[in-house]
Amino acid sequence: MNTNITEMDGKYVVELEGELDTAHALEVEEAMQPLHEVSGKAITIDCTKLEYIASSGLRILLGLLKSAKAKDNKVVLKNLNDDIKEVFKMTGFIDLFVIE
Amino acid sequence: MEKRNIKAWDKVRARGGIAILITAAAFMLMISGLQQTYARKQIRKGLEKTAEMELIIKTLNIKSVLESVESALNNHAWEIEQLLPYPDSLFGLTQRLVEQNPTLDGCCIAMVPDYYPEKGRLFEPYTIRRDSGIETYQLGSEEHDYSTNLVFIETIEQDTSVWSEPYPNPEEPDVTLVTHTHPIHDKTGKVVGSIGVDLNTEWLGSILNSRHLYPSSYNLLLSEEGHLICGPDAETVNPQEVDMMVALLNDSTCSQNVSTSGRFHTLNFNNKENGSKGFVYSMSPGALNSWRLAVVNYKDEVFQPLKSLRWRNLLLTLVGLLVFAFIIQRSAHNLNKLEKANLEKERIDNELNIAKNIQMDMLPKAEQKASREDVDIYGSLVPAKIVGGDLYDHFIRDEKLFFCIGDVSGKGVPAALVMAVVHTLFRSISAHESHPGRIMHILNENACQGNDTNMFVTFFIGVLDLPTGKLRYCNAGHNGPFIVGNSIRILPAKANLPLGVVDDMVYVAQEEILAPNEALFLYTDGVTEAKNSQHEQFDMTRLEKTLMGLVVEGAITPKHLIDKVNEQVNAFVQDAEQSDDLTMLAIQYTRKAKDIIFQDTLTISNKLSEITRLNTFVISAADALHLEMGLTSKLKLAVEEAVVNIIDYAYPSGTDGTIEIHFEADSDCLRFLITDTGSEFDPTSVSKADTTLSVEDRPIGGLGVFLVRNLMDNINYERLGGKNILRLEKRYKQ
Repeated sequence: MNTNITEMDGKYVVELEGELDTAHALEVEEAMQPLHEVSGKAITIDCTKLEYIASSGLRILLGLLKSAKAKDNKVVLKNLNDDIKEVFKMTGFIDLFVIE
Repeated sequence: MEKRNIKAWDKVRARGGIAILITAAAFMLMISGLQQTYARKQIRKGLEKTAEMELIIKTLNIKSVLESVESALNNHAWEIEQLLPYPDSLFGLTQRLVEQNPTLDGCCIAMVPDYYPEKGRLFEPYTIRRDSGIETYQLGSEEHDYSTNLVFIETIEQDTSVWSEPYPNPEEPDVTLVTHTHPIHDKTGKVVGSIGVDLNTEWLGSILNSRHLYPSSYNLLLSEEGHLICGPDAETVNPQEVDMMVALLNDSTCSQNVSTSGRFHTLNFNNKENGSKGFVYSMSPGALNSWRLAVVNYKDEVFQPLKSLRWRNLLLTLVGLLVFAFIIQRSAHNLNKLEKANLEKERIDNELNIAKNIQMDMLPKAEQKASREDVDIYGSLVPAKIVGGDLYDHFIRDEKLFFCIGDVSGKGVPAALVMAVVHTLFRSISAHESHPGRIMHILNENACQGNDTNMFVTFFIGVLDLPTGKLRYCNAGHNGPFIVGNSIRILPAKANLPLGVVDDMVYVAQEEILAPNEALFLYTDGVTEAKNSQHEQFDMTRLEKTLMGLVVEGAITPKHLIDKVNEQVNAFVQDAEQSDDLTMLAIQYTRKAKDIIFQDTLTISNKLSEITRLNTFVISAADALHLEMGLTSKLKLAVEEAVVNIIDYAYPSGTDGTIEIHFEADSDCLRFLITDTGSEFDPTSVSKADTTLSVEDRPIGGLGVFLVRNLMDNINYERLGGKNILRLEKRYKQ
């Protein structure tokens, strides 16, 4: 499970790669911790290479979204695969996030 | 709406009442009118008879007076004959006659002219009764020439007795006289003169007016030529009235009713001048010298009794109508009351029917039962009243069949209300609680709270674990159910106290394994205590016999059981009134184990890092069955979430334990049995996450069990032998 964060054109792009299961949730959460401090810049989470997400992974995304909302930041999710989109629908997360 | 109808109906009825009253009044008035007419006729008939009688009696009386006069003359006829040669002795004769007959006012003997040449042409000895005394003298003279008197001429020429027309007494013009004249014969039988006596009509008057039918009635006596011989005193009746009556009687143009005998005449009169109306009855009794006797009766007196009768009738009619009106009013009032009571009853019946529908709707629907292969359920409830205090319920949650049967003390609406509350509580408690003992405990606490009416409920709760056939049950004073299989036996259920009696009662659940195809038969005492008309009860023996009969037949599906028992109870009870609610519930466990085509087991420790191994295990199992990617992904997520929950909640932090994940598949179902040795943790009792909340309100976490439920078809939890067993199932197609 890889988490790559890059800053480009005043935007943050997070690239998630692999399976975000409960075993890897902690490391991803830690990797994304700095983003909670960001203000005034949009965050795009690129899920092109994300194969799987468990509820622990959803929890990380929700935590980030709550912080960003508090600072008036935007969080955009990109390129969710069908299985993940299904989970997002099931849990109502599809209505919480901006999904491209 | 209803009120308006009542008012409108009232009006119609009030109008109806008035119409009846008017008709009755008209009818009564008509009857009273007819009565009056009939009575008048009768009175007139009676009056005619009475008048005729009166006239006849008076005729007889008058006749006797007249006869006394005539006989006085007859008696002296021979004496006159003897005295004829002595003219002067005739004075003595007339004197004696008047003296001896007080009815006579005078007497005269008139000889044919020149009979006594020595006495002149006219000789007429005459005696008159005066106030001063009786005087006798010679009356006949050229000034008083009796020979031209018509009566004298008639008497002489006809040789007959004659009664004269009435004439005023020359001495007293107020007094009317009539003269009876008799011929005098000499010894050769030749008529030589006449003797006449004057009858004072006052004598007749005293007879005529002696007694009358009515106070104002009076009699009239008319001569042959219609002159009044005698009538009432001028003081009692106005002479003009009398004159009018005489004129009327003499008026031949007046229509008169003639009686059958031809003697009796009736005449109506109506004097417009003084308003007097009446009837005159007259007759000419031949005995009275062709005189006519009449009696005048006035209508107002004749019909006087009728008049007072009419007023009395009218008063009675009025009273009758009042009574009638009162009766109509009361009966209308009572009808109203009755109708209102009926409407009220109808309303209550309607409401009860609605209540019954609500109550019946609370019972599980038939279609909810059919969809499963592993259990068959059938229930029946026949309330004794429209609504009842019995209940049964069943539903399946997380592969467990929750069911109950109960009987609220009493019947009717109060019992139905308690039943509804208990039913609702049972549903809401068992939505999160799978343990029948705990469900019963909470129910009992609620039933005891504010139970001022001391209602109690006998209740039986069962929770059948469908995958295993394990039955957990708890009884609160209800009849123990039957287990019907190869034979029948009563489930060994501790009686315990009913709900609502003791609030800290401890309800301990019991357990039993149901073998495939065994059925559970639950009932209320309405079945065993159903009474026939001889007050015998259906009782346990008949119930057992019925069930046993079904066992022998091999027909123990729930519908068979209940239909047969119902049939037997009805046949037993027949026409007797149902005394209690009749409720039954039957459940047959029909699970068929299928062949396992693949199975594998993984044991991990309670660490999150083990999740990677778990996921690999799930993927390899899915691969072995060649499942499609999407399903594999779902299974992986569901199992991961379930196991993470166990790691998080079944093991207090720092404790070590193992979790066994057993995977198996039959031809159409995949199954994960996740067993751990941690503390008791039932994920099925975790309430559902709300996925509609906003970012701000949405809690971090709480999605695990929610995802498991949504990804899998069935989720089932059992605590067995100190282990938590979570069972996840998913149907699939190979």
